[in-house]
Amino acid sequence: VFHFLSRDIEVSDTEDAEVTSFSGSFYSKPNLLDMGSLLIKPVQRVMKYPLLLCELRNATPPSHPDYRELEDALAAVKDINVNINELKRRKDLVLKYKKNDEDESLKDKFSKLNIHSISKKSKRVTNHLKILTRGESQVKDSTFNREEKLFRHLEKTVRNCVKNISFCLQHIQDAMPLAAQTVTELHVISYDKDAKGSDYSASLSKATNPCEDFVAHLHRLVLTPLSALQSLFPGPQKLIQKRFDKLLDYNGYLQRAVGDDSDLARKDYEALNAQLVEELQVFNQAGRQVLLNCLCCFITLLRDLMLMGLKPYSTGMPLSLLPTSISEAQNRVIEEVHSLNFVKDNSATFIERKLSFEKKKPVPILAEMPRQMENHRSQLLASYSLEALYQAKRRCNATQEHDIDLLEGELVAVIEQKDPLGSASRWLVDTGIAKGYVYSSFLKPYNPAKVQQTDGEHRFSNGADTDSLQDGDEQIFYAVHAFQARSEHELSLQEYQRVHILRFCDLSGNKEWWLAEAQGQKGYVPANYLGKMTYA
Amino acid sequence: MSWIPFKIGQPKKQIVPKTVERDFEREYGKLQQLEDQTKKLQKDLKKSTDADLAMSKSAVKISSDLLSNPLCEQDQEFLNMVTALDTAMKRMDAFNQEKVNQIQKTVIEPLKKFGSVFPSLNMAVKRREQALQDYKRLQSRVEKYEEKEKTGPVLAKLHQVREELRPVKDDFEAKNRQLLEEMPRFYSSRLDYFQPSFESLIRAQVVYYTEMHKIFRDLTQQLDQPGHTDEQREQENETKLSELRALSIVADD
Repeated sequence: VFHFLSRDIEVSDTEDAEVTSFSGSFYSKPNLLDMGSLLIKPVQRVMKYPLLLCELRNATPPSHPDYRELEDALAAVKDINVNINELKRRKDLVLKYKKNDEDESLKDKFSKLNIHSISKKSKRVTNHLKILTRGESQVKDSTFNREEKLFRHLEKTVRNCVKNISFCLQHIQDAMPLAAQTVTELHVISYDKDAKGSDYSASLSKATNPCEDFVAHLHRLVLTPLSALQSLFPGPQKLIQKRFDKLLDYNGYLQRAVGDDSDLARKDYEALNAQLVEELQVFNQAGRQVLLNCLCCFITLLRDLMLMGLKPYSTGMPLSLLPTSISEAQNRVIEEVHSLNFVKDNSATFIERKLSFEKKKPVPILAEMPRQMENHRSQLLASYSLEALYQAKRRCNATQEHDIDLLEGELVAVIEQKDPLGSASRWLVDTGIAKGYVYSSFLKPYNPAKVQQTDGEHRFSNGADTDSLQDGDEQIFYAVHAFQARSEHELSLQEYQRVHILRFCDLSGNKEWWLAEAQGQKGYVPANYLGKMTYA
Repeated sequence: MSWIPFKIGQPKKQIVPKTVERDFEREYGKLQQLEDQTKKLQKDLKKSTDADLAMSKSAVKISSDLLSNPLCEQDQEFLNMVTALDTAMKRMDAFNQEKVNQIQKTVIEPLKKFGSVFPSLNMAVKRREQALQDYKRLQSRVEKYEEKEKTGPVLAKLHQVREELRPVKDDFEAKNRQLLEEMPRFYSSRLDYFQPSFESLIRAQVVYYTEMHKIFRDLTQQLDQPGHTDEQREQENETKLSELRALSIVADD
């Protein structure tokens, strides 16, 4: 400190008016010349004491009662000087290494490379390897090792704490205002503007405040000290590294004869080691205390935050409903809403596969139609030739004008294999009860032999929806969107055209393309253009 | 609700009177706004619950990193503190999860259910609009025929067109009437529907914060060098840090 001070004073001597005026007051005193000489007085005095006391002691006979005390005094004063020197040396050491590593450009680093430094480094590496591989006798200091380990752990802990606490803070800052916002929004929906409790949102908007206080306190009490602590670690870390280097050097000399070099290495190492051991202990203690304090602060801050967080929500809203009754009440309301006509008429009755451009087309509720009876069937059989007779493969609902419904297994006679617009997929049929159009893909040729045993069952299951697919092999799909074939392998589709799927993948097993048949033509169509028809 | 279709010769060929249209727009407008509000709220709730969960996860990370640190091995006091902190953080996480679940059940899902009604509403409005267009079209045809000179075929055509018009007009009137009646009912149903959700949301937050406060208060009582306030700790930190800076190995100039 003294050196810096005197240097600074010398520099500022000419500039600072106060200093000059102070120095001016010296001129009356004969011993003083300038600030520098004033400052050096304590140093000189400290160094004079041992000499003084030594002279005194030498002049005193050992039998004198004061001799003992003189001896002690001399020893004490010598100690002071030794301590001062030690401290000075340590600081110098540290400064030397600190200056070495700071602000070094690549050029500086290169300029330091010389034979000496290179040989030094390579010797160290060799020694290190020797220790690792051959386990040679080496100087060990278990105290140092323990402290160093503690130091390392402390550093990691502090580092992690700073990182994690910062993250947590960020999240808290995000989450709390969001929660308050949702409450406000829900409040707006749940209450009329002029109803009671409508001023709730005003009081809620102050809810971000607990967060701000928390943030400020957290920074001051926890993050700043911890960050400061964190920044103190690199200095000692460098010295630890240096000590290790010195240790390597020293180890290298252990085997050889004692000489000047080895002595120097030993002195260096021991000085550094002693310094580190002593001061690392202090560091660790203090660092640990800081860490503990910060954690305690963190916890109390959280406690207070939770208290503050509670406040806005507990402003006088009467909480009357039990959680279980909430869903009841809400279900009741939703039932009422669903009973409104516009909901009933327009909810999706036409269930389709999930597609992005699907349109929900409501299917009109079917009126009860008279079902085909035995006499109708026999009439058909009688009036039409066998080739014209077809059977409904599954239930079909009438969707267009002049369509008719068919139940599975009903018998129809085909009058015309096309509809008024010329489409060959819609056929005019006679069910014995009525005439109308159905899609040809719903019909299969009537085979009287096969029909016998299954007919009865089908007849009796008329009422139920037989929406189950027949063994999954024949499935009717419809094109949700028109598709233009780009090659002869693909099949063009019109919107809402029904197709019959022959295979659910293409020749290479790609499930995106299905082999479809419509109007007598076959081709591949994209799977996601197709919707399966199931009837609600 | 009766409304009079304007006949030909009136200056404004408006088959639906302005007041009716205005009422309709107003009611529908309210519902559209409600739809937007519910959608936004749903999104915000999702963001909020995600943020809450992220927060408690990061809090747990603080304590579990501390716990996994070898520093704890030698230092009993430190270990005790960190274990207690870890327990507290884990409980915070659990409560938070519980809160989120509660919100999910009593607020987010009802919101979704309520929101699923809107597509039906929009469809109904669209169909009414379509019916209106059909009605307008046929009405103009009728008027066109009414303007022509009254010859036989024209009269026949006029009659036919009028016949066509009638069901369409009835359909539109029915749709219009239905919607005008039901939209306000739908709108007012939101109050009864959402108030329980609101209360539940409030309650969830209250419970959470109360519990959290209790947990941390107990923790501070358990851990503390009793009586140390934050200010004292702050000062102690300062002194310790200065002590550290004074160390020669730290080499702070």
